[in-house]
Formats: sequence, structure tokens, C-alpha cells
Amino acid sequence: MADADEDVIQTPSATAVPPPEVDLSDETQDFRFLNHLNFFAESSPNIPRRGEKDFEPNPTEHQADVLSASRGAMHNALSYPRLHAPKTRIVAFYAPNGYTPPADRATPKAGGEGANPNPTKPAPKPTRVSPDACVYVPNPKGQFFKSMGQADPTSRVWLLPEEALYLIERGSLDIRWPSPSGSTGSEEDLSIPMSLQAAYACFIGHGGLTLERYSVYTGLKRLGYTLIRAPGWSDDIEPQESDTPDINEPAPRLVGPGLAGIFSSLFKWIHDPYSTASTATGPIIGTGIHRHYMDVYRKLAIIPWYDPVTAPERHPSDTTPPFRVVFHVYKPSTPFKKSAPPPPEFRIAVVSTRDQTTMPTLMQLGSLLESTPLDPPRGEKMDRMMYMRLRHGYRNVIMAVVDQGVVSYLRVADSAFGKEKLFESKAVQGHKRNRNQKSRKR
Amino acid sequence: MATVDKTAVTHSEPAQNGRPPRPPRPPRPNYRQIHQFPLPVNVHHVPPVIPHNPLSLISVALSYLTFLISPPCPQEVYTAYFDKATSSIHVTDEKAINALWQMGFFGKGNLSRSEPSWLARERKRRGLHDGKTSEEITRLRRTERRELKLERARMEKLAIEERLKAEAAAREAGASLLVDQATQSAADDTNNSPAAVAERFSLKKAKEARALELRQARELAAQTAAAEQNQPENLPNGKSVRFSPVVQKKEFVSTSPSSLQLPDSVVDAPEVYDFPNEEHLQLSNEEAFFLAYSLGALQVFDGPVKTGETQSQSPTTIPGLLKQFCHHSFQPARDGSASIQPDDPFMISYTVYHHFRSLGWVIRSGVKFGTDYLLYNRGPVFSHAEFAVVVIPSYIHPYWSETEERKNYTAEKQARSWWWLHCVNRVQAQVLKSLVLCYVEVPPPASSIDDIGAVFGQYKVREFLVKRWTPNRTRD
Repeated sequence: MADADEDVIQTPSATAVPPPEVDLSDETQDFRFLNHLNFFAESSPNIPRRGEKDFEPNPTEHQADVLSASRGAMHNALSYPRLHAPKTRIVAFYAPNGYTPPADRATPKAGGEGANPNPTKPAPKPTRVSPDACVYVPNPKGQFFKSMGQADPTSRVWLLPEEALYLIERGSLDIRWPSPSGSTGSEEDLSIPMSLQAAYACFIGHGGLTLERYSVYTGLKRLGYTLIRAPGWSDDIEPQESDTPDINEPAPRLVGPGLAGIFSSLFKWIHDPYSTASTATGPIIGTGIHRHYMDVYRKLAIIPWYDPVTAPERHPSDTTPPFRVVFHVYKPSTPFKKSAPPPPEFRIAVVSTRDQTTMPTLMQLGSLLESTPLDPPRGEKMDRMMYMRLRHGYRNVIMAVVDQGVVSYLRVADSAFGKEKLFESKAVQGHKRNRNQKSRKR
Repeated sequence: MATVDKTAVTHSEPAQNGRPPRPPRPPRPNYRQIHQFPLPVNVHHVPPVIPHNPLSLISVALSYLTFLISPPCPQEVYTAYFDKATSSIHVTDEKAINALWQMGFFGKGNLSRSEPSWLARERKRRGLHDGKTSEEITRLRRTERRELKLERARMEKLAIEERLKAEAAAREAGASLLVDQATQSAADDTNNSPAAVAERFSLKKAKEARALELRQARELAAQTAAAEQNQPENLPNGKSVRFSPVVQKKEFVSTSPSSLQLPDSVVDAPEVYDFPNEEHLQLSNEEAFFLAYSLGALQVFDGPVKTGETQSQSPTTIPGLLKQFCHHSFQPARDGSASIQPDDPFMISYTVYHHFRSLGWVIRSGVKFGTDYLLYNRGPVFSHAEFAVVVIPSYIHPYWSETEERKNYTAEKQARSWWWLHCVNRVQAQVLKSLVLCYVEVPPPASSIDDIGAVFGQYKVREFLVKRWTPNRTRD
């Protein structure tokens, strides 16, 4: 994502040393790569790759020189002035009481109509602005509003606390305190700009935004992902009618293994009528004559297992916070439309290790996964490769485990080992075995 | 067992033929043939019935007829005994050891890494047998790797020395030569710059460099010498860690190494046939119960039995075995009067063991990687384990949340810290295995355990695959 601020820098400052003409692909040590950063390039600023590391000190002057050159390059890069041009400045206003109907403020904000992509649909808009939104931008412009904010009928864009905090933190937004005297035509001149500290104080804790959630939001946002709040954001989402069938859920869940049990007993009858099989005191497979290993394995299947396909989906309200999807995430390459977000590519639940000190129990993890839609392994490659199928699983969710600001992402998938009968694949092993044999010899 | 002599023998080999183009690996045994049966169960195939081919019917009828006339040998039942001290099952019968290892990879040799190979190694040590056991192959590989690393360190030191020389020369020549240029030329002209000149200039850095150079040269010489000499000495150390219970033996043999090192010494020849196999197969309790209860292929006795007196002792019954294993799943073991609880560690671990075995996986202990189990496809000799399983009990049934006391109890039983999960996850990522969290739903206490199958049928297994998600890699 190109940085708007960097694009703005046009005049070379006095302190700047003209960067040497070096091939960017030529790798050097450490921070000297920053020397190759061209802040003055009008087009895309290229970020060069990093160099190699020395792992232990040695007494050569060469190493000392490299080190000092590297330090110099870092200081040089840090000392570049960062400017905010008035042309791209976006001013926003803090509305501590949340979204207010636009009737009283309609007139002063009329100027921004041109910049707003969809100012002509006033009817559904008021419902779309979240009650948690607390910052509005009268004149939205720039790329950020493609994926952030919600427009109201007067084309003001309302930002959620995490969006406002993210923008102010990266220097893209100038938030003003509400003016004490009420709104006037030149509101901007009267009110005081909000500091970053104040923004953190105001927005963290507002509308369910915790520091952990913000760490995840801002981290992924900086990598270029698009994040929107998921229905499970607030802890007190109202349960739907659908949870009545969920109560008698254990019964349908047993169907899979139950069927398997019936089948296995059937097979017992058909294939081994004079068997002495007994699950009570064993041996399960009986002492009779076995015809095939497949039948032996089928008889062994006495442990029920969970089948993610037959399990019904759950409403997010059935999950226990913090094991609840709070963000829907889209890859940077996915075309994202604010008004009609596509199905999310990743679903993220945010867990703070200080509030939730233990791993989820089966109840918590199971309902978290059941609140996500079925995503069975598909495709030719998945059909061919069993390990890949198992690793992909039937449902998946990402847990962002935040430990004092350090985020670890864990992808949890519901992989049904019971659906992959390994012993059956052995039956058709003739040529596969040979292939394995060859590859091992290589 | 005498590790000293064996390692000396094995080490001399790579020195002789390891340096020139590596000799082709010795041909592997035909594992496909050896391990063709996935379970120690006799299976008699019936020719398939092809409806439009009446001849197939005849062949089926014929095979049935032969079964009727001469019934095939019944299921082989192997014997083992329970060792209370180690809470494990010992199999000492040679035939049973081979059968259990070859058909389903059950147990491990108590003096080996997994396959009981002590006898082969010992024979080889005494020069009676050649061929390599997996332990020896691993050791060879490690030796080679260590030598490579030493070589790399040597090269790095050499490069630094050359650079120092070049820098000294550059200083002598004056400031006109930049260090950067010197670095470029350093690789080419190494021996041109005389070290004596640097001393005459007596620049502080040059002196330091010189001193270091000398020191390094000395160290290098010492190290290379050590590398050549130490390795045979180092190896037994690494070995004795693995086989610590037999240290005394090692010492005993090392006192008379000369006689044993000679492969065709006359002294050794008579020993060929009369040294006993000191190794036994050790089954985990889950493996033993699976073999006994599920397959009916194992009889477990309370103590060591000699082949003659099998009749005098009767094997432990299956319910008795279950009880014994449950009591021994605690440390220290519970006394015999305690009743079986549904969340006894053995009940839970056996549920998982049986589940994966019944699906066709070869499931073995994962203690090497900090997990409960490893899942092999077909077996460890064919491929690496792909999945590492961690077992976590779960108490979903309403019985477990009825009283406050039970709630606290189950909360404690289910608790796993995040750090633990991250640790396990990291280790699995390092060894290229996928981590499987296997939750086992524990039923309420059963009124009776008369029907073992019904008891285990109340448990339920659910697997989750956990993997670190790296946002940088999924951006596309």
C-alpha cells in the first residue's frame, strides 16, 4: 500500500545526502540498504531488500566499517522529514455520543458530496452506521474510505474507533475535539486537534474495542489486509431462534458413528458368521477366520468420532467469548466493496492470554468452529492428497492469541480423521507402493 | 554393551571410504515384504466373486472347501508379562518380538531406538555380521554433519585471517587503498602481503590482528587435531547418554578392547552362538491392551514365564488387565481396590490409541517430540510421521458440571496454558509435523465395566489441526 504521506514529500530537504547510485538488487549489510531508499521518487517508492548478517564480531576493520556505515544509513533514513501537505489532509470530528442523525448538521457538511462515491442513496444509510462509530469525516477523500467507515445520508463518513485510531496513528487523519460552542460554519478553526494519547484514551474501551483487538486490527491492516467487524463483535449479541434445534444437537451428531457401528455389525454378520467377536471382553475382531484386513479394521471401529459435516452450524451467540469470531479478514488482493462485503477469507477470534489463561476447552473451541460455515477440502489436489485434506479440515478459524501485545496467530481446523479411512487406501496400493519404493531409493 | 569398540569400528569406515565419492547406500531390506501385514492377525483371502464369471464361483467354493477340510491355523497368541516397576509390558520371546514389530510396529526394543536391533549391533560389534542398524546409520550421518560444520568454521576463519592481512597491507601502502577494495582483492591475493611489515609499522590494530591471527592459527591447529582425534572419543559419550542403563557394561568391555576389535579373532569365534539376547520388546500399556483386547493376539502374565510352565500360570483376564493398566496410569500406581474412573489417564489414552489404530494409522509414542502420540502412515520404516497428537480430556457431559466440586475438578483437568501450546506447536513446526489436538469427551462414570466395548463406545474423539498462521505468507 503506497503511503500517502511519502507521496507528498516533494522538496529535498537540506539535510538529505543525495543517495548513491546503487543497484537495488545488490545486497549489502544491515541498514545500509536504507541508503538506497529514494524518498524523492515520485512514482512507487521501492523498499530494498535487507542484507546479510554477521553472527559474531571479528577484529577486521571491514566489519567495523560495515557496522558504522549501517548505523549511519539508519540515522539518515530516520532523519528524513515527514511532511503532511494541506492538500491531502483529512479532518475528522470526534463525536463522543456516537452517531447523531444528520438533520441538525446537514448544512455545513454539504461540501463533500463530490468526494463521496455514493451520496444518492439516503434511505438505507442511517441503519448502516454502527452505534459504536464515534468519529465522522465531513470531507472523505483518499483510498482509506474504500474499505473503512460508513457513510450517512449527508455523505459524512463515520469511523469506528479502531478505524479512527489506525488512521490517526499513521498520520492520515486529523481528529478534532467537538467544539464547545456547537457547530458553526468554520468549525474546524475553533476546535482543538486530538493528540495520539488522547485518541488512545478515547477509543480503546469504546464500543468493545480492547487493546488486544486493536493490536490484531492494526497489525493486519498494516500488512494490507482488509478487516471488518464480524457479527460476534459485541459480547451481548442476541441469540436467534435457531438455537432451539441446537439444544438437541448431540443426537444428530451421533448419527455418523452410529451408522458406522451399524455397518460394522452388518459386516460382522455377512463376512464372519461364525465369529466369536465380543466387544465386552474381547477380542473385538473375534477368533474366527478373517478374510480381509479391511473387515478387521471395520470391526475395530468402536470409538465414536465427531463428524463436522453432519454437525449443525451454530449462531455466534452460542459461542463463549473470547472464543468468538470478531473480525472478518480479506486478502489485500481481494476486491472489497464496503456496501456488499464478499464472504470473508479468514475469520479471526481474538484472545487475551491475561484474561483467558488457559487453552479453550472442547466446548469453547467446538462451538467457535461450528459458528463458521462449512469449508470442506475441495479441488483436484485435495482429492489426491490425504495429508492436505486433513490439514485443511472441514471448518477453520484463526485464533489471534495476544500475550501482552505479542500476537500469535493459530489456524485451527476441524479435521475429521475418521473420514479418512487409511486402511481402505491400502487396498488399492499396488502401484503406489512401487512409487514410494522408488522415491525412497533416490 | 560395549559401545566403545563398536564406534571405533564404525568410525574407521567413513574415514576410509567416506571422503572419496560416497559409496552407494547399502540396499535397504525389503520392508514391503517384511511389513506386509498391518496387524498381527491371520488373514485368509477368499478369491473375489465375479458374477459374470462362473469359474470364480467355483474357486470360491473350492477355497471354502479347503477351509473346511483343513482349517487354517488359528490366531497366533503371543505371551508377555507385566512389569510393575516400569509399568510396561515385556515381551521376551524372540518369535513374538519379531511378529509384533513386523506386523504393526508394536513396542520398542528396550536397548534400541525403536526396532529391537541390539542383537544385530552386538553381532556386528563382535565381527560376526555386517550390515547397518538404523542407530548406526544415524550416527554416521551425524559424524558427517559435524565434520562439515567444522570445515565451514575453518573456512570462515581463513577468510577473516586473509582479510586482516589485506587490511594490514592496505595500511602499509597508505590510505590510498580503501578497505572496501582490499576486501575485494582479499579473496584473490592472500599470500602476497607479508605479515612482518605489519609488525614494523606497529599500528595497534595490526598488532592485535597479528596476535589474533597467531592465536587463531594455534586454535585451528588444535581444533583440527582435536577433530581428528576426538571424534572417536566423543561418540561413545553421545551413545552412553542414550543407553545409560548399561554404562557398567561399557566400562567392562572397554578394559579389553584389543581382543574385541579384531573381527576374526579366535577368541570371539566360539562366542558367536552362545551369547544371549539381552534385549526385550517393551510394549506400552495401550499397545498391550489393544493387542490383547481388540485383536486377541496377546496374553499378559503377571510375571516372567518360562516356556515350560505356561500352564501353571493363567494370563490376566481382559477386565483385570484394564483395571491394572488404569491403576498404573497414575504415579505412584493406585492400589488394586480403587475403581476405574472414566477419566483415568489410561482410559483416555487408550480411546485415542484405539481410534487411530482402527483407522489404519500406526500410532506410536510421541514423547520424543513432546506430544502424546505420533501417527505414521504404514509404519516408521516407510515414512516420517506426519501428525503429532496431543490428547486433552474434555468434560462436556452435564454430569461433570452438576456440582461446584466437579466443575473445579474438570476445569483443572482441562487446563492447558497458552505457553504450553505454543511450545508444542513450535517444536512440531521445527520437525515438520502437523499438530493435532485430540479432545476426548469423557462420559459420566459407568455403573459397571462388564462390557468394555460399551464403555469405550461412550467416549468421543474430535481432532483439531493447529498450525501457526503467518499473515505475511497468505497475502498473495
